Amino acid sequence: MRYVHLYFTCIKRSMISRLEYKKDTLVALSSFFFSNLCSLAALYFILQSIPALAGYSLYEVGFFYGFSMLPIALDHLFSDELWLVAYRRVKDGDMDMHFLRPVPVLFQVFAETFQPEGFGELILGAALIAVCASNLTVAVTFGSVAVLFVGALFGAVIITSLKVAIAALAFIFKRSGPLLQIIYNFSTYAKYPLAIYPAFIRAFLIFVLPFGLFISLPVDTLLYGKHDPWLLCGAIIGCAAVFFALAVWVWTACERRYESTGS
Amino acid sequence: MLRKYKPFLRAGAIDTMTFRFNIMIWAVVTVCQVACLVFLWLAVYRSSAGGIDAEIHGFSFREMIAYVVLTTVFNFVTFNNDTMWYINNDIRKGTIGNHLIKPISYRGKFAATSLGSLLTMAVMFGLPFYTAALLALRGLGFLPGLTFPAFFAHLGLFLLSGLCASLLNDVISYIFGVLCFYTTSAWGLNSLKETLVSFLSGTLLPLAFFPAGLRDVLSWMPFAGMSQNPVLILMMKYDLAASLRCVALSAAWIVVLELLAKLLFSHAARKVTVQGG
Repeated sequence: MRYVHLYFTCIKRSMISRLEYKKDTLVALSSFFFSNLCSLAALYFILQSIPALAGYSLYEVGFFYGFSMLPIALDHLFSDELWLVAYRRVKDGDMDMHFLRPVPVLFQVFAETFQPEGFGELILGAALIAVCASNLTVAVTFGSVAVLFVGALFGAVIITSLKVAIAALAFIFKRSGPLLQIIYNFSTYAKYPLAIYPAFIRAFLIFVLPFGLFISLPVDTLLYGKHDPWLLCGAIIGCAAVFFALAVWVWTACERRYESTGS
Repeated sequence: MLRKYKPFLRAGAIDTMTFRFNIMIWAVVTVCQVACLVFLWLAVYRSSAGGIDAEIHGFSFREMIAYVVLTTVFNFVTFNNDTMWYINNDIRKGTIGNHLIKPISYRGKFAATSLGSLLTMAVMFGLPFYTAALLALRGLGFLPGLTFPAFFAHLGLFLLSGLCASLLNDVISYIFGVLCFYTTSAWGLNSLKETLVSFLSGTLLPLAFFPAGLRDVLSWMPFAGMSQNPVLILMMKYDLAASLRCVALSAAWIVVLELLAKLLFSHAARKVTVQGG
């Protein structure tokens, strides 16, 4: 309870400092929205020139794209500060303050920023899903909808865990941003149906960096009933639990090796 | 005895490696992204009515891959200026005042800096990267055989259009930088600019895929000259007359945008808010 209160206090403070640059925040919000819109338009123009992409119709590909935005947006809302930790904050030596406070460092990092840009993504993703779903005829079952919710929520947990683990490496190597960038960029692959990739990349996206597991497979389940929804739910939640535990373990281990770089 | 110097040795080595390390990271990120696009295009062409050998909007599959690879190299070599960030820094740190009283043009300073960095990038990376990309694409059969006198004419026009692209990018960066006088922060404006340019210049997707009306408008805008046109000139998709027209259009836009930048700056300079000193 104390932590909930503390979280909101910190976030409020960060929002106030953010509003110092009101116009820029507005521009940032709209540019984020706009950039997603541009990639979508590009995809739309491509799909206009072919009958279907690897068997997926325009609306199905749109559904994939929209759904892929949800876990990414959820992660974006809460854990943006990890980028700064990985790129700059350890190297510049300004993590010291967090180690002096009687609250876990990881909690403080999360309480440092709340990124309202994520809402733009969330709204656009949801709108895209709504538009595409209304143009598709799918047999909606309770299980296939549940697996979408599980995919979005626990997918966000998996993405955040990956970010935590890699950002933590900065405690040892001073800077892990570029590595984080490489890993995170693989989420682009999950914006399209897995069917367009060769088998080894498909396997990689399910078993190694599981973006496909929580984005493509749930959508395939809803559209085509390809997988057993409850089994898939279990797999996603299990995977999220493993990633979460690993992330916390890596973070604690690396945190202990933190040495201030001075300033 | 010498042990205490070890950290300095390490620091020196790391400093020197930093740039190389950044390039390596860039290479890995880029290879992953290009690979993703190759798979996407492979699926697109395979799913098209004519199969993998089809031509979509004037591009065969092989040409499309060549286009993706060459625009990636082109963007890396051509767009490396930090004009916008420098202006933003000048505003936030208050050093803008010093620049405004110096007897050199603020705009001229950036144009010169950008050209300097373009030259370095072109010699250090452009030469090896383009050579490697062209040879590899040619070797794999992704580019048609070259006919030599014609290729050199295109190469010349490509260099010229690359220079125009860099100047266009610099003046657009400058305009967005001057807009920071109003917003006092560059983060949002910068991402807006990058999105706009990558979409409208054909980096994301060749403009041939855009709907007819939008395509016609964009063919008169400066953006195509910043990425799509130079690359298509290099790929010899445009004949010499069309290539010349592209270069002329870019040159005209440079003049127009420079004038616009001048007007904007004289308005913005009166609004300047210095945050620090």
